[in-house]
Amino acid sequence: MEKGKKIHVNNEETLFKTQEEEEKREGNDGPPPEEFPDEFQCCVCLDLLYKPVVLACGHMSCFWCVYSAMNHFHESNCPICRCPFNHFPSVCQLLHFLLLKLYPIAYKKRERQVQEEEKTAGHFSPQFDKSLFEPQLRDTSDNLGNNRTLSHLQTDLHSESCSKDGESSSFKDSPKPTMHDEINLATSLSSSEHAANVPNQGSNSRNDSEHRDQKKASVTDLLCVACNKLLFRPVVLNCGHVYCESCFVIPKDEIAKCQVCQSLHPNGFPSVCLIVDHFLEEQFPEEYSERRATLLKENNCSTQAQRFANRATAISTDVYSSWFFGNGPKVHVGVGCDYCGMSPIIGERYKCKDCVEKIGFDLCESCYKAPVQIVGRFNQQHKPEHEFEIVPPLSISDFIFRMNSEQSDEEGSDAAEHMDDASQVTTLEVGVQPDQGDESQEPEDISPSLILSVDVSLDQEDDSDDPSDNNSSHLT
Amino acid sequence: MIDFARVQKELQECSKEIDTSGIRVSPKSDNLARLTGIIPGPLGTPYEGGSFEIDITLPDGYPFEPPKMKFVTKVWHPNISSQSGAICLDILKDQWSPALTLKTALLSVQALLSAPEPDDPQDAVVAQQYLREYQTFVGTARYWTESFAKASSLGVEEKVQRLVEMGFADSLVRSTLEAVGGDENLALEKLLSS
Repeated sequence: MEKGKKIHVNNEETLFKTQEEEEKREGNDGPPPEEFPDEFQCCVCLDLLYKPVVLACGHMSCFWCVYSAMNHFHESNCPICRCPFNHFPSVCQLLHFLLLKLYPIAYKKRERQVQEEEKTAGHFSPQFDKSLFEPQLRDTSDNLGNNRTLSHLQTDLHSESCSKDGESSSFKDSPKPTMHDEINLATSLSSSEHAANVPNQGSNSRNDSEHRDQKKASVTDLLCVACNKLLFRPVVLNCGHVYCESCFVIPKDEIAKCQVCQSLHPNGFPSVCLIVDHFLEEQFPEEYSERRATLLKENNCSTQAQRFANRATAISTDVYSSWFFGNGPKVHVGVGCDYCGMSPIIGERYKCKDCVEKIGFDLCESCYKAPVQIVGRFNQQHKPEHEFEIVPPLSISDFIFRMNSEQSDEEGSDAAEHMDDASQVTTLEVGVQPDQGDESQEPEDISPSLILSVDVSLDQEDDSDDPSDNNSSHLT
Repeated sequence: MIDFARVQKELQECSKEIDTSGIRVSPKSDNLARLTGIIPGPLGTPYEGGSFEIDITLPDGYPFEPPKMKFVTKVWHPNISSQSGAICLDILKDQWSPALTLKTALLSVQALLSAPEPDDPQDAVVAQQYLREYQTFVGTARYWTESFAKASSLGVEEKVQRLVEMGFADSLVRSTLEAVGGDENLALEKLLSS
């Protein structure tokens, strides 16, 4: 995911919204099709949350809203509480399917809107429910829903964890998976983000057609992935999995890890997602107080202590500036890791040579070394057999140039243009470098804004000039 | 391009809450990128009773970039330029967050009116006066509110023009209007009786 493209995404996104707006104004007479409560309104687009992403501070927003609000030059801040973060979390699928179930009409409408925007922009958010748009599968899932009416509750118990598995659970072939199978699937720890949540969809379509009023959440929609009980004080990890606050345990002297998908949770102990917490308390008062009572009995004091102990593991702000002054780890401005979401990537950057999507596919060092099957954060069809190359970050002089153009321009779109210019300049420089044989080909087949890297040799040449560069940049 | 769907929603929200907040936002033209905001002067300040017009321009990146705001109504305040109306407020600059809205931004501007920050001034002259001769500052601010931000002072030029057309001298009309607090009919009576 590269910053160079971001502004374009926005431009087209919003273009589209205006058209939509006009349509809306025309049809303003009727009441809105489906009301949703304010707590599920995205604070950025002021619409129903679509593909919600929960930040470490517990605040949530739509996938694209979080992405657009992020600062890809240094750490980002939560739009609501300004809590700093440097990882773009994965979509919280539990909430995604919950919203789809509660407000199917409004959510589908949002889905159509966003899909149009994505089509125009050429960038895509991760897909979890492909089967919905493929008629064949849809039929099967409908049947499935009907067949499963009785077993619905029991199987749904595992549907969330099962939903994490897209490919192996081909419901098409085995329309009636046994509970045993599902448990196996759930424990198979497949980290695939493709979740065809067929059981849930089945129940949705049933609700749609027969019981319009039954758009109520059931306890089974809101289970902790660890204890499999109703969530109590839910926390959402960087990978999007939801735990009870007391179920998520960070081992001493280790980085937090999701027990379901094994991906690292780099943001310290996550804060309780209060919106979901209130929702739980409101929807299931009995079950919720029961959970509170049992947890009180167990008297799990350790969680609180642990929580505060592990709070501050985020990357310090110094890192960004130390790279600026040439003595810190590499910072790849505008480029994010497609697995853990670190943006910008700090340290080595591994770029996939075989992914064709124009947004690219990049990994940070730790994710490159982690042997997990990875699906791109922007729905890139990355395959394990794809090859990676190590890409050096921007040269310092170029970085300063960009920082300046960003600061001096008041409008982001201008900054983006400058960024494009900058990368064009960069590519030119790259072309001139004689020891740049392999990279000098890039300008031909890749759009200039995508090339954010210059050979390290440039940095080294510039090293002696750096202090003066820095000074002048401050003076201007 | 601006997220106009969101701007539209903001305008709807804002018009719902006019009674409680007193803050109005209305588009200047059809394209929603140029708007006008009106905030009432906070009670218990020299700006009380005034209603201040703010010119709002939305940048292309809105809501990921802050809206550009400046006072149209002249106002005497350390953090607002008495010449250009430029506002010195962090949330309109680097502290902007996309979760803020036009309404919340205008509320912050309103809060700025009641809590000036003379140590981080936009208008050095006003800030100096605020720090050294506070009473004079209050007097000037109140006078500016009376002269520029009162409903009666709105459209004063038209009133002057109408009365001048009736055959009164321009300067006389102005002084009379000022004497009666801007009421056109009272001014006319006074002019006729004098």
